[in-house]
Formats: sequence, structure tokens, C-alpha cells
Amino acid sequence: MTSLRAETSVADLPTVTFGQRSLMWWGTLGFMVIEGWTLALLLVSYLYLRQSVIQWPPAPSQSPALLMPSINLALMALSVVPAVVVARAGGRLDAPAVKRWLVAHSLIGVAILILRWWDFQSLGVRWDANAYGTAVWMIVGFHTSLLLLDVLDTLGLTLFFFVRRQPVKSFSDAADNSFYWYFTVGIWLPVYLIAYVGPRVI
Amino acid sequence: MSALGNSTIDGGALAPEAMAQDAGALERTWSTKPGVWGWVCTVDHKVIGRRYVITAFAMFLAGGIEAALMRTQLARPENGFLGADRYNQIFTTHGTTMMFLFAVPMMTAMGLYFVPLMIGARSVAFPRLNAFGYWTYLVGIGLLYVALLTNHAPDTGWFAYVPLSETLYAPGHRVDVWAQLVTFTEIAALCAAVNIIVTVFKMRAPGMSVNRIPLFVWAQLVVAFMIVFAMPAVAAGSTLMLAADRAIHMQWFIPARGGDVLLWQHIFWFFGHPEVYIIFLPALGMVTPIVETFCRRPVVGYGAIVMANIATAFFAFGLWVHHMFATPLPELGDSLFTAASLVIAIPSAVQIFCWIATMWTGRPRLTVPMLFVLGFLFTFINGGITGVMLASVPFDRQAHDTFFVVAHLHYVLLGGGVMPLFAGLYFWFPKFTGRLLRNGLGKWHFWLFLIGVNVTFFPMHILGLDGMPRRIYTYLASTGWGPLNLLSSLGAATIAISVIIFLVNVVLSWRGGAVAGPNPWGASGLEWATASPPPPYNFAYPLIVSSAHPLWDAHAALPVATGLRTDRREVLTTTTFDARPDARHSSPRESIWPFYLALCMGVVFIGSIFRPYWVLIGTALSLAGLFGWGWQSTRPIERERIALPNGALVERT
Repeated sequence: MTSLRAETSVADLPTVTFGQRSLMWWGTLGFMVIEGWTLALLLVSYLYLRQSVIQWPPAPSQSPALLMPSINLALMALSVVPAVVVARAGGRLDAPAVKRWLVAHSLIGVAILILRWWDFQSLGVRWDANAYGTAVWMIVGFHTSLLLLDVLDTLGLTLFFFVRRQPVKSFSDAADNSFYWYFTVGIWLPVYLIAYVGPRVI
Repeated sequence: MSALGNSTIDGGALAPEAMAQDAGALERTWSTKPGVWGWVCTVDHKVIGRRYVITAFAMFLAGGIEAALMRTQLARPENGFLGADRYNQIFTTHGTTMMFLFAVPMMTAMGLYFVPLMIGARSVAFPRLNAFGYWTYLVGIGLLYVALLTNHAPDTGWFAYVPLSETLYAPGHRVDVWAQLVTFTEIAALCAAVNIIVTVFKMRAPGMSVNRIPLFVWAQLVVAFMIVFAMPAVAAGSTLMLAADRAIHMQWFIPARGGDVLLWQHIFWFFGHPEVYIIFLPALGMVTPIVETFCRRPVVGYGAIVMANIATAFFAFGLWVHHMFATPLPELGDSLFTAASLVIAIPSAVQIFCWIATMWTGRPRLTVPMLFVLGFLFTFINGGITGVMLASVPFDRQAHDTFFVVAHLHYVLLGGGVMPLFAGLYFWFPKFTGRLLRNGLGKWHFWLFLIGVNVTFFPMHILGLDGMPRRIYTYLASTGWGPLNLLSSLGAATIAISVIIFLVNVVLSWRGGAVAGPNPWGASGLEWATASPPPPYNFAYPLIVSSAHPLWDAHAALPVATGLRTDRREVLTTTTFDARPDARHSSPRESIWPFYLALCMGVVFIGSIFRPYWVLIGTALSLAGLFGWGWQSTRPIERERIALPNGALVERT
């Protein structure tokens, strides 16, 4: 056995940490970059297809309707509020507040998912009609898959908080869940601007 | 016995009895359960890493067999050994296997095995994600090889150009197999990349600041970032575009409906060119510790090599259009990409000069790993020079789609990827198995491999310049290409013999080779500070590092940190730049969920080839897996010390 010399002890270090001190935060950030970059490539592909035709959207497709997507956009902006409150309550280990606001977060998440149906309807084109339809459906669809995953994660976390004595690490997980939610909401903004507003201006 | 280990802090040597007691407790805590269940559920990065290496090497053999079949077919003009259709399937499967199932997984596997050992960590950051990545990769292999054996293998080349790969020209499911196989390997690679990044950022030994990170780990870190930005492109291209065009009539690449076939080439090569460096940089990372160890001195230009790695990664994303010089792109764009393709030779040259300087000023010992390093320098430089030639648009337009390109890419990949890999396998085999590979057989392997590679691929330069196109299953005798093709096929047979010698060496040495001990080469890295093979917990105590060559610079007993628990799986995390001890994190036990979720991915992606509703079924099945995974993560632990975001430290039971 190699000869070893004890120089310091790490026994007093914390076993639960938040944010950048937590491994899960970094892992979450890694997958945000991957998913965000995939979405960026889809958006660039949309713009690439745009530059090879004169009329956009190509006839007979019409520009998407804006009413329902704008309402959903406002709801998504609003959903950041419970996410922030959950993250802050998690940082205080305040279980009743985390539970309460996780329920609010879950409900608003489900509402956004339901409204997403009308986001697709508002596109006014089928995915197989032309390359424009393909691109917008894929962009909105890809974001929807991330949204679905995040809502399921939020629902699962909420369930865990209610059905068992929550370990302390779950408070850090709740904060990381909010962190991922900010990302899901944040990347919707370029999607909204390019897929819904874009055809009117580019 | 104390759960925090038996040792006390007095700055003195640890008592052997206390160390033995801690080692026993750690062995119980970190060991994988025996039997099939334990085999499936293990999250030990070394077990998974070794499994990954063996599987990837099996894929190298499979790709090699396909190459041998192709060389047999091309050995003489108008040969009837393989028909056109079978030949198309085999060359596509060969390229796909070598790029997606051998080279990238092999390089990430070496990282997943060695990065934690080299940085003094007990595990990777996300052990279950690691297991999930491996199983996903294995499902992908199953898909491709079942397809090959049932005559359904992809047949449109490893880059599956549209419109050839669209339903109109490629009906049936062959291309779908390719598109979904790519998805599996991308998921596996991305899981590995995130794991490596977070492990290197947060789990380095105390004192291993960024300027003391081993150069192999630097290479793995840079490549992990490249994977994060390159792989989403091919995942988007193959799954969200090509497979969607074929399965649900999307129109990405259908010009009649506003689609664009060149979009596929842009997306594919935005991934495809960095892919070469994703294979090549880890291989270069293996060269440095080997050169250092066998020249008995630290490498010349540590900082220059780190910067060269980073520069290569940046430039690698600016070259993709040189694969598209034969398409109608603007001349100005071509010039820009020519310049970038020339510039990237500079950081590679910087690394090569650093190794030459190290050898020049050291005392080189020509061991088998060193022979492979020298073989790499010779072969790779040749491949690099033809790469510079191909960066020139006028030359590229002549050589495009000819055997000259085949010669170039094999010199680069075999010279720059496989030779350093063999060097690394000889160097680290003792760490994997506890035994040394035999020297005599190793030298036979090296010389036959070096000769075989050059005899196989050098004639292809001449054949290409003479106009022989790639991907033809036969040619007329009147072309005059027969003799050089025969020579090339004889070279391929030589490579095959050399690889068989390697396999024999592995089997003999694994069973009865010389026992290696912890550090048979007298190397300087932390992986040599633990037993060979390492125990399940890697290191009983985190080593404290105060130089880039800790084992060479330690004059007396190695300094360590105590206080990690021995009764539950616990890892030390450190700060990102300075590697100051920051926290103790729990690490997960065995889990069935990675395996289960990989099977669900199989249902989603393989099912989607046949009916879109399988996506929904697979997704629904995976919900149970996600729930189980999350439930296991949140199992309560009796007592925690919590660092709150406001800086306070509290205890909770």
C-alpha cells in the first residue's frame, strides 16, 4: 500500500449544496446547452430555407395567427413567478412554501401545455404541406417536447414532496427544476419571434 | 468504526491498520453486487468504461471484417465476390461502424474510465447517466447489426446524402436504420460529454488547479465541449429532419416543396468535420503521458498543448464547407473555408513539435507504446499533408469522390486515431487488468500494423489521382487499377494479421501476463497511485495535488484529505478553477433504471421506423423509468449538513 500522509479533513464540508456548488446544477446546465443549441440549429435551418424563396410563407400558406400564442407567451412569462418563489423557498428549506408553490407551478405548466394545442393550430399550415410548414412544426414541436419534459418533472417533484418525507437534497432539486424552467421559458421567446412574428417581417 | 474513516488529522502518516479498516469498509460500500442483477445495474465507471472499451473494440473488429470483405471484392477487376447491393450495405455499415460505433465511443470510453482516476475522484459526476449512455449505445449496435444480418442494412453511405437517402430513391427501412442508429450513438455521446465536463469541473483532487490538469484530461474536456456543440447537429439532421421526412412526410429536403438538399450537407458536416477532431484530440491526449513517461521528463510546452487543443476545437467548427467544395457555393465562402482548413494544421503542428522537443531533450525508451507513438507521428503527418492538399479548392475538385480522399481519411484516422489508441491500450492495459501486455508480440503487432496501413492506403493516393472513384463495387481490367488494388488488399490482410496478434496478446496476457503493480512504468499521473486494477472506490482518500506530475514530485508520503464517509457512497467536490475542497456529495448505488430507460429509448426510436405511435408507447413506458430514477435519487439520508444559498451552514436530520 502506498504511504499516505493526512494533511487535511473534509469531514466538516456540507453534504447538500445549491446552485453552482451542486453537481446537478451543472448537469442541468449541460443539457440546457445541448437542447438550446439543437433548437438554435433548427431556427437557423428555418432561416436558411427562407432565403431560397421569394414569398414567405410560400403561397397558399398564411402567416400564423398571433392571438393565442401571445396569450400563452404571457402565461409563460407569468409562470416564472412560482418558479422563482419555489427556488427561493427551497433555499430556505421552507417545505410548506415549496409545496404550495410547486402546486401553482404545476398547474400553470399544465395550462401552458393545454394552450400549446392552439399554438399549433395558429400556425395555419400542416407539417407536410411544404418546407415552411415542416420547419415551423418541428421548431414548435421540439420546444413542446422540452416543455412536456419539464412539466412532468415538476409534477413528479410535487408528488415526491407530498407523498414522502422529503430529504434535504430535494430542496436543491426544486431550485434546479426552477432553473430549467427559466430556460424553457427563455428559449420560447426566439421561437415566438421567429415562428409567429417572423413571417410578417422577414 | 467511525463512518467518517478511522484516520485522524495530525499531518503524520496514516496508520496501516486504520487504512486497512477504511479500505474494507469502502470495499463493502462501493462494490457492485454479484450476479446478473449486479452486472446489469452497476454504475461503477470502471466497469462501464471497460465494457465500453471492449464493445467499441468489438465494433473495430466488425468494421475491420467489413473492410476485409470490401478489399477482397476489389482485389481484382470484375470480381463477383460481393454483388453491388451487398457492397453498398457493407461500405455503409463499415463507415457507420467505424465512425459512430468504434471511434467516438472508444475515445469517450477511455475518458469515462480514466478521467476520474487521473483527477483523483472516486467516480464520475453522474454514474447512472453513464450506465444509461452505455446501454443506449448497445441498443444502437443491436439495431445496425440485426439489420445487416437480415439484408436491411443502410446502403447510402455513412453520410446518407439526400436526395439519395429520401424515400423516393431509398424505399424500405434501410436508411431509417441508419438515421435511428445515429440517434442512439448521439444520445450516448452527449451523456458521456456532460458527465466528463461536470466531473472535470467539479471533482478534481484538491489542489489540481486548471494549470495542473493532466493533458489527457484536458483533451477529454475540450472534446466533451465539441461533442456538446457538434452532436446536436447530426441528431437534428438525422432524427428531426431525415427520419421525419421519411416517416411523416416532412419536407426539409424535398426541393419541389421548398426544401433544400444542401441543407443536409451543411447540417451533417457541421457535425461531421468536428467529429474527426473528436476522435483525434483524445488520441493526442494519450500521446502526451506516454511521451512523458518514456522520455522521463515533463512534456515541453504544457500551456501550448492546452491552447492547441482549444484552438483546434474552435477551428474544427469552421471547416465543414471543405467537404462541399464540389457543390455550387459562393467562391468567397470557399476561400474562407480553405483558409480555415489550412490554419487548423498549425495547432496540430504545435503539439507535434512539443512532443519532438520532449523526445529530443529526454531519454526515450522504445517500448511498444512509444513505437506506436512514433508510428502515429509518421502516418498522421502524411495524412495531414494530404489534408492540406485537399483544402485547396482546385485540387479538391479533381480529387473529390476518388480514392485519394479514402487514402487521406484513413491515414488521418488510423494514423491519428488508432495508432495512439493502441499506444494507450499498451500503456494502460496494466491499469485495466493488473497485468502487462507481452513485449515481443507487441512489437510484431506494431510493425505489421505500420506496414499494413501504409501498404493498404498509400496505393489509394495513386489510384485516386488516376481517377478511381470511391464506392464502386468493381472496375474493368482495362482501367489498369488491378495491380495497385491487389497490393492494397494484401496490405489489408497484413493489418488483419497484426490485429489478430494483438488479440492473442490480450488473451494470453490477461490470463497469465506479468503482474504489473500500481505503477509499472514509473509514470507521474494519479491513476498510477492506486492499485491495478483499481478498487471500486478508486482512492480511499482524496489525494492532494501540488504539481502537474504528482507522483514524480512527491518526495515522501503522498498527502491526502480524510473525512469522506466510508459507510455510504460519497465523493468530494471541489471549486471549478482552484480545486479547493467544497462539498461532500452522495453518489448513487446500483440502479436498474438506466438499463430500463435505454430499452424504452429502443422502443421509441426503433418503433418509430415502423409506426409513429411507438414513439408515444415508448415515451409512456419511459415515464415509469423516470419516476423510478427520481424516486431513487430522493431517498432520505439520516443527517445532512446544508450550505444554504445565503452562505449559512445548517444541519438537518
